[in-house]
Amino acid sequence: MNLQLLFTRRRLALLLAAAALGGATLTARAELAIIVNPQNPATRMFPSQAAQFFLGGSVQFTPVEQAEGSPLRAEFCKKVLEKSPAQVEAIWSKIVFTGKGKAPKEYKSSAEVKKAVADNVSAIGYIEKSAVDDTVKVVAIVP
Amino acid sequence: MKKTLIAMALAALAGAAGATDLTDDGTLKLTGFYNLTGARVLSGKAQGSGAPWDYMQWKCPCTVQNWEYAAVYERSEGWQVNQESLVGFQLKKEFSPTLSATAQVVVRAHNPGHGLTPTLDWAYLTWQPAADSAWTFQAGQFRIPLYYYSDYLYIGYAYPWVRPAPDVYGWPIYAYQGANASYRTQLGQSDWAATFHMWAGGYTQHNDTYDTKIYYATPTHESWKSMVGGYVSANNGIFDVRAMLMHYKDTTWQDTPAGRVSFVDGQSTRIAGLSANVDYKNWLVKSELDRYEQVDAGKGLNNVYKYALVGVGYQYEAWTPMYTFSRYTTVNEPIEARNTQYLSLRWDFRKNTALKVQYDVSKDKSHYSYPFFGDSRLLSVSLQGVF
Repeated sequence: MNLQLLFTRRRLALLLAAAALGGATLTARAELAIIVNPQNPATRMFPSQAAQFFLGGSVQFTPVEQAEGSPLRAEFCKKVLEKSPAQVEAIWSKIVFTGKGKAPKEYKSSAEVKKAVADNVSAIGYIEKSAVDDTVKVVAIVP
Repeated sequence: MKKTLIAMALAALAGAAGATDLTDDGTLKLTGFYNLTGARVLSGKAQGSGAPWDYMQWKCPCTVQNWEYAAVYERSEGWQVNQESLVGFQLKKEFSPTLSATAQVVVRAHNPGHGLTPTLDWAYLTWQPAADSAWTFQAGQFRIPLYYYSDYLYIGYAYPWVRPAPDVYGWPIYAYQGANASYRTQLGQSDWAATFHMWAGGYTQHNDTYDTKIYYATPTHESWKSMVGGYVSANNGIFDVRAMLMHYKDTTWQDTPAGRVSFVDGQSTRIAGLSANVDYKNWLVKSELDRYEQVDAGKGLNNVYKYALVGVGYQYEAWTPMYTFSRYTTVNEPIEARNTQYLSLRWDFRKNTALKVQYDVSKDKSHYSYPFFGDSRLLSVSLQGVF
C-alpha cells in the first residue's frame, strides 16, 4: 500500500470533518502568506515583525492592504496585528493628522495586492497561501 | 451657533469612511475628524467652601478642560456642548511620490475672539529624497510635538480619554512656524523601530487666550522664538517610549499706555518630557513625566513646573475602560498645583466612531490667597470620529 497516498487521504478526511464540525468555510480559515517583492533581501520574518509595518510603527517596508471589509483583512487584523479594526484606525489617524505618514493603499483583490508587491521592492502585503506564485516571495505563513 | 456645529458634526458622521478623493488621479485627498463633547460640572469647592465664587470671567464651581482656548465648564451652566466640540478638515495634495502639501483647518465651538472662523492648525510641505527614504523634511506651520499627545491633542478618536489630561496638556503657545526633519530606522535585527525628529521655528500669539483669559485679564502677548527641539521615540509593537527636549526664548508682554511692559524678554526656557507606554494583549499602560524650566538666578526667576501622568486601561472587544491619574505643580510660592483622577470608558460602537464617557475628580492644591479653579467633579460625554 502506498503510505503517502493513505496519509494524504486521511488528512483530507480529517480536514473536511473539522470543517463540517466547525461549520467554518474553508475560505475563512485560509492560511495567510505574508509576501514581499522577490528582489527584496528579506527572507523570513515573524508575523509580529510584519505587523509593525501595517501599524505605522516602522517604515522599513511599505504596506499594501486588502480592501476594507474583506474577510482576509479581518483575519490579518485579528491574527497578525492582534488589534481591533478600531484600534488600527486610531493608530493611523494619529499618523495622518500629525503629518507623519499616510494610511496604506488598499487593493480590491489578492491579484492586485500581488501586482503592487511585484511593482515595489519595499512593498509588503498578504494574500491567501493558495494565491502565492513566483511573482512574489513569502516571508511568513500565518496558519 | 450651537446648532450649526451639531449640524456639521452630523454631516461628518454621515459622510464616507476613510479619505475622500477629490480628483480622479487620487492625488488630492480630504480627511477629517470631529469631537462632539458635552460636559457638566457636578460639584466643586474652593478653599474648603462650596459656596459659589468667581474666577476671572467664570462663575465657579468650574473646571478648565482646555488651556489653549480657555474651555471652561461652569456648574451654573448645566450641560454644555459649546466648549470643546470641533470639526477638522485636512486636505493633502501629492505633487509626486516625494513632494506633498497639507493643510488642516479646525472649526471650534469655542474660539475666543474668533467665533466660528476656522483656525489653520497645520500648513506644510513634505519632501523626501526618495519615495521610501528614511528621511522626511517638512516646512510650514505645525503643532509643537511637545509631550506625547501634544501634536494630536484634538484628534479624539486616536486616544482613549475624552481629552488628554488638562493637568499636563496646555500652553500659551502650541504651534511653530519653521521646519523639521525626521529619520526613521529599524534598530539592528531587533523588533525595535526608532524615530529621530528635530524641529526649529518660532511663533507669536497676540492677545493669547491662555495668558489673557486665564491669568492676566488684560491683553497679554507671548512669543516663543528660536525654538529648537527634538525627540527620540522607539517602539517594538508592545512598548512605546519617547524622550523630548526643547529650548526656546520666551517673551511675554503687555502694551500699556506707558509703553510695552515685558514680564520676560527673550528668556531662555527649557521643556523636557519622558513617556513610556505599553500595549500588550488587552492591557494598556500610559505614563509620562514632564518638566518646564525658566530659571535665571540673576533675574530672580525660578519658574519650574513638574507634570506626571499614569493610566491603566483594558481593551475588551469594543470597550476600553481606563483609570488615570495626573498631577502638576509649580515650585515657587504661591504654588499652583492640581491632582486629578479620571475614570473613562470608550465604546467603539461603529466604524470610525467612538462614544466616550468620563468622570473626573480634581483637587486644587494651589496656595493662592484667592480661590482659583478649585476642586471639581466633572462628567463628560463625547462622540468622536474620523472621516
